[in-house]
Amino acid sequence: MKLKLLKTNSNLSVGILLLIFSCYSGPGTYAQAKSNFQPHEFPAYNDLGKENDVNELPILISGKVMDGNGDPLPGATISVQGTSVGTVTDIDGNYTLDIPDEAAVVFSYIGYETQVIKPGSQTVINVTLMEDTSSLEEVVVVGYGSQTKSKLTGSVTSIGAKEFENQPVTRLDQVLQGRAAGVQVTNSGGAPGGEVRIRIRGANSITGSNDPLYVIDGYVGADFSIINPNDIESLQVLKDAASTAIYGSRGANGVIIITTKRGEPGAIKVSYNNQFSMSEVLKRYETMNAATFAEVANERSDATGLLPIFTADQITGFRQKGGTDWQEEVFRRSFGQEHQISVSGGSERTTFMVSGNILDQDGIINNSGFKRQIIRANIFTKATEKLSFRVNMFGSRGENTNTSTIGFGTGSPLVQALAWAPTTPIFNGMGEYTMNDPVGSVKENPVALMYDRELLEERTTGNILGGLNYKIVDGLSLDVQYAVNYFNQQNKYFYGTFVTNRNPRAVRGSSEQITLQSTTALSYKKLFASDHLLDVVGVFETQEFTNNSFSATANQLKDPSLSFYNIGLAGSFNVNSAFQKWTLMSFLGRANYSFQDKYLLTVALRRDGSSKFREDNRWSMFPSVAAGWNVADESFMQNQSTLSLFKIRGSWGITGSQAINPYATQSTYRTDPLVSFNGSGVVSGIMLGNPGNANLRWETTEQSNFGVEMEFLEGAFYFEGDIFMKSTRDLLINQQLPGYVGSGFITRNLGKVDNKGWELALSANIFKSRSINWTSSFNISDVRNEVVSLGGVADRIFTNTNVGAGMSTQSEYVVMPGNPLGSYWGLNYLGTWKPGEESQAQAFGASPGDSRYEDLNNDGAVTSIDFQVIGAGIPTTTLGWNNTFQYKSLTLNVFFQGVFGFDKLHYTRAAAISGSADARQPVLKDIQNRYIPGVNETSDIPAFSLTNLNFTQSTRFLESGDFVRLKNISLSYDVPPVWLKNAAKLSVFVSGINLLTFTNYSGIDPESSSVNGADTALGVDYGAYPNARILTTGINLTF
Amino acid sequence: MKIIQSNIIKMIIAITFVFSTGCSGFLEEDLQGQLVGVGALNSVEGLDAALTGAYKGLGWTWSMGFFHATPMGATMGGDDITTHPASNKQEFREFDQFAVSPGNSRTSQMYTGCYKAIQGANNIIENYENTEGAEEVISEIVGEAYFLRAFSYYWLVRLYGSIPLITTPNFSEELLSISKTAPEEVYDLIISDFEQAELRLPNTKKDPGRPNKGSASAFLADVYLTMGGWPINDPSKYKLAADKAKEVMDNRTLYGFDLATSYEVLWANDDANLNLPEEVFALYAYDGVGQTMNAHYGFASMPGEQSGWEDFFAEINFFNDFPAGPRKDMTFRTDFELADGRTLNWTELQTRHPYYNKYYQAGDKKRWFSSLPLVMMRYAHVVLIYAEASAREAGSVTSGAYNAVNLIRTRAGLQALNNLSVDAFLDAVIDERAWEFAAERTRWFDLVRLEMVEEANANKNERDLNPIGTISKDDYTFPLPITETLNNPNLE
Repeated sequence: MKLKLLKTNSNLSVGILLLIFSCYSGPGTYAQAKSNFQPHEFPAYNDLGKENDVNELPILISGKVMDGNGDPLPGATISVQGTSVGTVTDIDGNYTLDIPDEAAVVFSYIGYETQVIKPGSQTVINVTLMEDTSSLEEVVVVGYGSQTKSKLTGSVTSIGAKEFENQPVTRLDQVLQGRAAGVQVTNSGGAPGGEVRIRIRGANSITGSNDPLYVIDGYVGADFSIINPNDIESLQVLKDAASTAIYGSRGANGVIIITTKRGEPGAIKVSYNNQFSMSEVLKRYETMNAATFAEVANERSDATGLLPIFTADQITGFRQKGGTDWQEEVFRRSFGQEHQISVSGGSERTTFMVSGNILDQDGIINNSGFKRQIIRANIFTKATEKLSFRVNMFGSRGENTNTSTIGFGTGSPLVQALAWAPTTPIFNGMGEYTMNDPVGSVKENPVALMYDRELLEERTTGNILGGLNYKIVDGLSLDVQYAVNYFNQQNKYFYGTFVTNRNPRAVRGSSEQITLQSTTALSYKKLFASDHLLDVVGVFETQEFTNNSFSATANQLKDPSLSFYNIGLAGSFNVNSAFQKWTLMSFLGRANYSFQDKYLLTVALRRDGSSKFREDNRWSMFPSVAAGWNVADESFMQNQSTLSLFKIRGSWGITGSQAINPYATQSTYRTDPLVSFNGSGVVSGIMLGNPGNANLRWETTEQSNFGVEMEFLEGAFYFEGDIFMKSTRDLLINQQLPGYVGSGFITRNLGKVDNKGWELALSANIFKSRSINWTSSFNISDVRNEVVSLGGVADRIFTNTNVGAGMSTQSEYVVMPGNPLGSYWGLNYLGTWKPGEESQAQAFGASPGDSRYEDLNNDGAVTSIDFQVIGAGIPTTTLGWNNTFQYKSLTLNVFFQGVFGFDKLHYTRAAAISGSADARQPVLKDIQNRYIPGVNETSDIPAFSLTNLNFTQSTRFLESGDFVRLKNISLSYDVPPVWLKNAAKLSVFVSGINLLTFTNYSGIDPESSSVNGADTALGVDYGAYPNARILTTGINLTF
Repeated sequence: MKIIQSNIIKMIIAITFVFSTGCSGFLEEDLQGQLVGVGALNSVEGLDAALTGAYKGLGWTWSMGFFHATPMGATMGGDDITTHPASNKQEFREFDQFAVSPGNSRTSQMYTGCYKAIQGANNIIENYENTEGAEEVISEIVGEAYFLRAFSYYWLVRLYGSIPLITTPNFSEELLSISKTAPEEVYDLIISDFEQAELRLPNTKKDPGRPNKGSASAFLADVYLTMGGWPINDPSKYKLAADKAKEVMDNRTLYGFDLATSYEVLWANDDANLNLPEEVFALYAYDGVGQTMNAHYGFASMPGEQSGWEDFFAEINFFNDFPAGPRKDMTFRTDFELADGRTLNWTELQTRHPYYNKYYQAGDKKRWFSSLPLVMMRYAHVVLIYAEASAREAGSVTSGAYNAVNLIRTRAGLQALNNLSVDAFLDAVIDERAWEFAAERTRWFDLVRLEMVEEANANKNERDLNPIGTISKDDYTFPLPITETLNNPNLE
């Protein structure tokens, strides 16, 4: 049977060979973090005590090993220095050991400072081990295994639960923000439960997602938004190719590995946290009141040869009675709360952790909010010495009300609040919402948008993974895991009478996505001749994803009060359903070799096959190699004690991306066209869709990294710096096709994008004394993105966002060689024509006071040919600075975040001031500072005139978005244990989020954006839901 | 030890196998639910679905085609319509002022829509021979496909002049470097396609939104008339135009065509009362579904004072020179009732122009969408084509020609024409066309084929927009949309 298998399929045989080569007694895919780590680092010590002849060892010592708090340390290692004689402590920290005369005994435990004691005449030796502040022995999880930090050859940032425990974080992105160099976190959708953009070392892909890969307890491809941060034990960010290549086909954007908490043997531990928050919008736009608005509108009519819109009586009326303050109607102060409880414990054999989390957060825009419930249970049991089982389950449910991106752009209440005239009342004379604004906006009433429209999205996830770990022989172990992820999304949308011009409709959509993943890993770890440590792992993994979805729209609802609950009563219906499936199969192997802990080498190879590509291009190989040198361990470095760690490391590797939708190699028909042939109903038809490309293949990223790590003064000061270069080729690009071949686009592998940059992370214990402590950590990273080529197929490619709504005559973004991704495309605005420039202005048909744009090709006209690259949407530099001050029981944490090097296209302002789009009259106060002949002849806001050309897609509305923000400041107080009769630990905290923002951007929030998920179109602000200023208070209770 | 090892290896293999679910089949793409390949057209239902999809190109609201004021914009170079001087009407103004840029999204949406319809029609024409089913049914479907292709190319060649000529539905790399085809060759295809349509289409329309044999003949007549003028300038075509128009008129009962009894009936614009006999071919809409709403009637042609968008309205001189009568009364709206009960005359409006009553919805409904069809040709067109073509061809005016033009004039409340010279008659017919088809996407094309654009735009009222620069033959057609030349520099 074995021989037949080897002949039939070469891939399977490669897999078997890899598996045979690897043995490691370690956890395989489920990795553990610092405090719970079972000491398997040096297996040679575990059972070898039995191999020595007792008769040769005259002295019997015994005792107890404890930690700094007096708690026993089970599993600590006691060994005779220079020999292989040793043992480990039991669950109560007790040990006994036979040792030779004159021996020095080494007491050690991962994460603690080792002690060497010469027993002398004592036979009972109790030892207290102190926690090691140095990070040398910190255990870091890497793909399919773990390593101590000192042996790491890749660029990995590790974040432990302790670092964010004391801050009110409700979601993973808040944990990452500013804490890892090279990781850029932007809250691009300020709604609660809103969109977040996380990027590691820049964006590679044009069409594909640039989101990093999330691995939760070995389940690859998880959704980060439903992870309860309180369940996280540790988090690792893998940045360079050497670390991410092991994830091969999906590692190109970086990998974030999350390990959830496990119970600890011993008494049951309960912890309860809550927080209550209050949010407000960061700032408001300055708009004119009704009377001023009316006057300005009349001034505009006058200047353009039209009759005045408002009579003098009406204006007096507005002055006396006021008008409508639309922003006031849209924003509110909102509240939220979160409760979290976790129970953990267990016996020596079985441990468990169960946690639950409830969150209810209202949004700062009326009638919007987010509710979420998460429950998790992690169970681990050691059936025998060799065999252990684990089951991790979690379920989550989230409900988003009116925070959906469907409501953005012109459908956003914020945009309409800045488009509707203050002279128009909210309700008409008959008590209904005013449906049409006679003067200002051509779109829907903002208050009606909030209350007569409901966009409800419900997301339910259930994830269960089960695995076993079997230690076959000494050093060799097998780990098998199977995971099932079930995701269900229900969309319930209702558009009422007053937002559809008396044509209400409702939509029900459903999507059910199931992912199955299996992972089989064989690992081997052995120390040869006490100098050569070899750690090898081989893995075989499969993943299968299926999505069944359907949606039903009912138009012309007969009874709108039934909303989406009953869509059977309607004038007409559209229904459709869809099916999507893809599969992935992978083989991988990695070998770590270290010589005397000084010279380190890692080699890894991964081979992936994807169903999204046709046979010839289906498989791809991803190799990587990394090397490191622990200089501080060299003999010539032993005479100094300042530098406790000095590592130089470098790596190179290839990772890939299959970031296209399934079926992209096929030319499929569209089945959504509907045509009416009689004016009273529709018939469905088919239309040719985008042509497929049978030659599609993997997008590949090649990355090189060089880094230095240094630790001074026993961990008082730590420095890590990296420089890297990423080059992505065979980029998957959607090339827009011309209209005459049927328009649409074709996906091709062309082009090359480079990301080059550097990262720095510094952390220091600036001041440490018994009662006062100050630690600070700072990280900064700079990434320069450049589109190197488009494969010669086109000199530029446009990505249209459709946010423009009457303001963009062309795509706002362009992908062009020599420029970064997400470059803005528009006209260069040169201010207004000034007095004295009449003749030059005349040549363009303009007069002083009119807009002046750069005529790029000097043809005497400002047309679409004069469009050029005017700015960059993707930030280049991000930094984070975290300071923790501790005074006795008080802890103050101050965290700043800064983002630089990007521009924002401020369309909200453009719409509200130019009066040339869906908002027909300007509403912003700033319009009063416009150019007025004879009154104000220096302003660069164009005058009201018949000859003025309003191209909003220009540098006139392009602003720098650079900002520094006091992202988080929190003060917590540890209540003295005596108050609680020493039965529990309680701390109380108060914190503020987004309290201070330093920026030149004139919009509400430089961080939020109207287009989410696409790096080629980042930074347009057209009614983007802004982030809020939040004050929180809460308690943490453990007992 | 060895036994343990071999057992272990067997166990590993077994586990690997368990989890690999069969290497070869596991990675094959599952195409359930996807419609791929020409097999989709093998049944009559499939062919018909493809035909429906072809119609879609001509009307996908806000995305492509004719449903949202794109053709109004394209024909603003005529002296019958104009747009708001300020506001967000920049793209409409480009047409009115003869400064159309390639980035103009109005033309590109019509352009894309026409080519999408052409692609759909090409697909049917290329593959119908493999379809299994009743021959007559298939032939009628193919007839509609030919009609749609000819209709779309007819719009494209008039708007853009030289265009890419495509007769295959499938994409291939070579297509990305083809050059433009001159109008003469495009017209050859248009004529042969309309002739195929004539052969295959039934006498009665299967649905109000489909053409019949008479529609194909009527369009053929219009094509011949256009070919008589710029840029083809082939006078031999006028005879063909006259003969074809006469053929339609003689068979009007067979085709179900007739003039509406009055303009009140013609422009009642009532959703509940569609499919008038005067419609030779119309694109039908349905306001129950977003993608099929007609955005011409309602707000697009109403002033801001009535919550309208002021997209298009009448040029003042045109309005003033329009002869009084029941037709004028129904064509224009001059008094406007406001929400607060006041009534304003058009001179008191913000925009100070008269608006087109033709595009108000029945009951002056205040909304931008409707189920009203966009009529692409009326029987009145056929009648006036005959009048003009027969006069040009014969060099004299026959009684048939007088009868034809007077049919229209009497309905309009004007005096019948008699005893005119050929030139005077022709001028009268052109004027009649201008008045009868005001804002119906006809005047612009008349001015172009008769090379009267400069003359018609020479004396604008002081309150109308003036052309930017001098008008030349370059302004008679528009530049290809920027998406085309960017992807294929051979099209410049």
